[in-house]
Amino acid sequence: MKWWQIRKRDADLDRELQSDLELEEGEQRERGVPAEEARYAARRAFGNTTLIREQVHEAWGWARFERFWQDIRYALRRLRRSAGFSITAVLILAIGIGATTAIFSLVNTVLLRPLPFPQSDRLVWINQQDHSLPGVVPEALSYPDYFDWRAQNHTLEGIASYSDGSATMELKGVPQRLDVRTVSSNFFDVLGAAPMLGRDFRWEEEKAGNRAVMLSYSFWQQQFGSSGDIVGRSIAMDGHSYTVAGVMPRQFMFPLDNPEPALWISIADDADGKEPPTVQRGFDGLGVFGRLRPGVTVAQAQADLSVIAGNLARQYPDNNKQYSSALVEPELAHITGDTRPALRMLSGAVSLVLLLVCANVGGLLLAHGSRRHGEFALRTAIGASRADIVRQLLIESLLVSLCGGAVGVALAFGLIRAMLRLVPQEIPRMGGAGIDGNVLLFVLVVSVAAGLLFGAFPAWRLSRSAPVGALREGARSIAGGKAQHRLQNGLVIAQTAIGMVLLIGSGLLMRSFIRILNVDPGFDSKHLLTSRIGIPPGKLKHDQHYLFYQQLLARVSALPGVEAASAGWPLPMSASHASISFNIQGRPVAKGDEPAEAAGVAMPGYFEAMRIPLIAGRFFGEQDGLAGPPTIIVNQAFVKKYFPSENPIGQHIQARIGDDVFEHPVREVVGVVGDIKGRGLTADTEPQYFLPYAQAVVTNPYLVVRTNGDPAAIQSAIASAVHELDKSVPVYQVSTMEDYLSKSAAQPRFQTFLVTCFAAIALVLAAIGLYGLLSYMVVQRTLEIGLRMALGAQRTDVLRMIVWRGLTLALIGAASGIALSVMLTRLLSGMLFHVKPTDPLTFAATAALLLLVSVAASSVPAYRAARLDPMTTLREQ
Amino acid sequence: MAKQAQQQRTALLQGTLDMLILRTLLYGPSHGHQIGKHIQRTTNDFLQMQHGSLYPALHRLEQRGWVVSKWETAPDRNREFKYYRLTEKGRKQLLVEESEWKQMAEAVARVLWPAAEES
Repeated sequence: MKWWQIRKRDADLDRELQSDLELEEGEQRERGVPAEEARYAARRAFGNTTLIREQVHEAWGWARFERFWQDIRYALRRLRRSAGFSITAVLILAIGIGATTAIFSLVNTVLLRPLPFPQSDRLVWINQQDHSLPGVVPEALSYPDYFDWRAQNHTLEGIASYSDGSATMELKGVPQRLDVRTVSSNFFDVLGAAPMLGRDFRWEEEKAGNRAVMLSYSFWQQQFGSSGDIVGRSIAMDGHSYTVAGVMPRQFMFPLDNPEPALWISIADDADGKEPPTVQRGFDGLGVFGRLRPGVTVAQAQADLSVIAGNLARQYPDNNKQYSSALVEPELAHITGDTRPALRMLSGAVSLVLLLVCANVGGLLLAHGSRRHGEFALRTAIGASRADIVRQLLIESLLVSLCGGAVGVALAFGLIRAMLRLVPQEIPRMGGAGIDGNVLLFVLVVSVAAGLLFGAFPAWRLSRSAPVGALREGARSIAGGKAQHRLQNGLVIAQTAIGMVLLIGSGLLMRSFIRILNVDPGFDSKHLLTSRIGIPPGKLKHDQHYLFYQQLLARVSALPGVEAASAGWPLPMSASHASISFNIQGRPVAKGDEPAEAAGVAMPGYFEAMRIPLIAGRFFGEQDGLAGPPTIIVNQAFVKKYFPSENPIGQHIQARIGDDVFEHPVREVVGVVGDIKGRGLTADTEPQYFLPYAQAVVTNPYLVVRTNGDPAAIQSAIASAVHELDKSVPVYQVSTMEDYLSKSAAQPRFQTFLVTCFAAIALVLAAIGLYGLLSYMVVQRTLEIGLRMALGAQRTDVLRMIVWRGLTLALIGAASGIALSVMLTRLLSGMLFHVKPTDPLTFAATAALLLLVSVAASSVPAYRAARLDPMTTLREQ
Repeated sequence: MAKQAQQQRTALLQGTLDMLILRTLLYGPSHGHQIGKHIQRTTNDFLQMQHGSLYPALHRLEQRGWVVSKWETAPDRNREFKYYRLTEKGRKQLLVEESEWKQMAEAVARVLWPAAEES
């Protein structure tokens, strides 16, 4: 039956019944019955029209629908009549559903939404496995390895490579540093993307001399004014000329980095020179992904590539010995892998909030519903079945929860926008978070589930009211009996317990976060400005390069407000890192078995400017220059690992890093410096060695400038100092060291903030729940309290009785919460930094806070009870 | 007492009303009033139900596709009535119900008048 035909069919039925009545009336009249009587006789003979109509509706299958609609109208009327209750319930639910929806929106955007490429489930991330270290340790590929894997595999339609980089380009007269990805010629093809303008890269553009570039949409728009004839033109970057192959569509983005790459260049760039990266099997720096052939599984691809890796490990033991197998994962899982635990934890926390909200609203509904015992008793007495009453109550709670869901969506909208501002930039795909069909469906499911959950208890309880008793006793004195009290107490205990779990979780994360902030990074981050200078590779010869920095540092040091200035690489917390193999003289090993540790370079004064302490020997000075003997400085962790019982000073180390002047000289250890947190505040300190920059010109080092005052103030002075030396080199990545530290703590800050917000909501709701229950109890027991006082109970006795009741419930709740937390916080252990999941201090402090709040929540109704006037009470009851 | 007897008869009728309507429509299309009157007349007013109760049954039959209905002008009067007409499916259903009824009536008769069976 179509619902829109209801009116028409009903009118039709009316007409039919009416015509029958008229015929009957006519027949009666023909028999000589007077007109007035004839009509009654016809009606009598016909029967009850309303009943007949209902029976016909039943025959049509509408009855169920009609009853349902009736229930809804009735429920709406009820809710409107008790507006205060309805609005409170809707708002509490909106908080729970809104928070849950906002977190689900993050999960949906980051984890669930497929990558924006055709058949993206066939895209896989590919790496080799480092078997020299315990556990599953992925390692990037080198060009020669990549080329071999590309040529020899049988399971992939294509394998593409990309590597990070940057290039200097003069834009509108100003040199700019651009984010550039060097990609294989099939990069776009494997992703299933095509340029919107121009053509894809060609195979020959992987060869030296055939430099080609693909522009991103935004770069093309901003720098070339969306000019249509850009294809085929040449643009100059880092002193080389690149042919523009095409422009990618606006929505194309890969890898999903922040900031996104401005352009992609062909491998030709890495194939240039005497011994270019494309022929170095030890140059493990490529990101690699592939597209599975149809029907091939990830495991099959991994097995296939592992055979190739095994062969290469045997063929090239010097470089590949430990990389004898491949690692393959679905690309989406790989991209989102790091964010999974945090999002899982947040989902868990927000589910607890929702559960608490349900218990809270359930309690509210129960207290509210007990005023309606009379109504339900009456309905039962005149024939409503228990199912009818349960249905009625469930429809009411569903309406409330759907309204809560609707308001919750609006709330989630705001929450998502707030979160996007807070969220660490490292979480990929976050920017797209919003409310889509998936999220709305989720809200609907959650609202209905919540409505059924919190509506179930009251519906079950209230539908059991025995009509006789309830009607006799009257609505006023009905307390709902023991069972209802037990249920209400249970709901309050559940709220307290859930609140306790959330508070403990948030307390642990907060303590851990404070620990992180108090970590000594091994250097002094205050008043430290850092930046990089983009001297194109090959532009300056070895000694000119060093000279440039020497002159620059002299100029910067002379600036007013500058205490010290130097340069070094890698900058701690900056995500730049290189692990390079070496050997210690007197400890011969095969080349493939050489150890590798973090390597760095430093200008004289670098350690002093960073305030990294000297442990033994000396820092780098001017004597470690071009003419001086090759030297090296190691850190304490390095000494601990490699020279545990020897004096490291005077030892000789040959590092496999060098430039065109100092190829791989044997170097003398001249100093030992303190350990620094290079990879983030929570990372372990690792062994590291440093070479003097003059003897290893391998990259553009970071400028580090220590100032007297606000480091940001001298930013422009540094830029002009650079431009006085050379107008064509850009200054980029200007940032204070404090910013780097803050970014390093961004993820824990985000988690801690959100969970603490949830815990605060939980605490307030649990307190409201307790307050509500006790207030209700005081009203219910007014007579009893009045009697007690009339018989001589003191006000303090009454006060104590109510507060004690509240405290008992809170204690039971807190105890169950602690028991639950002991089980649950173990799941947090991966996110806690130097804090045990069962940290007794956190547990104790949380319990104290919760009990304190509970006493506060109990004291208001208790005070109200204590102020009852026994005379008035007894008279009124 | 009379009311109770009436109720009993109506209860008996409920199960067989569908069949009686279908059988009545075998003579040709007719509207609700005609059907009611016909059943009343042919049973010599034994089945004197409130003929309004016919309509739920009629609509149930229509819902099942055993009859179809149409508003048509009556040949003898200048007004429209809703005429019900037996469908092919309804015809088959009537045969099924008739045979079931017959079987049941025979079975009941065998229990009530065993002597008649023997002779």
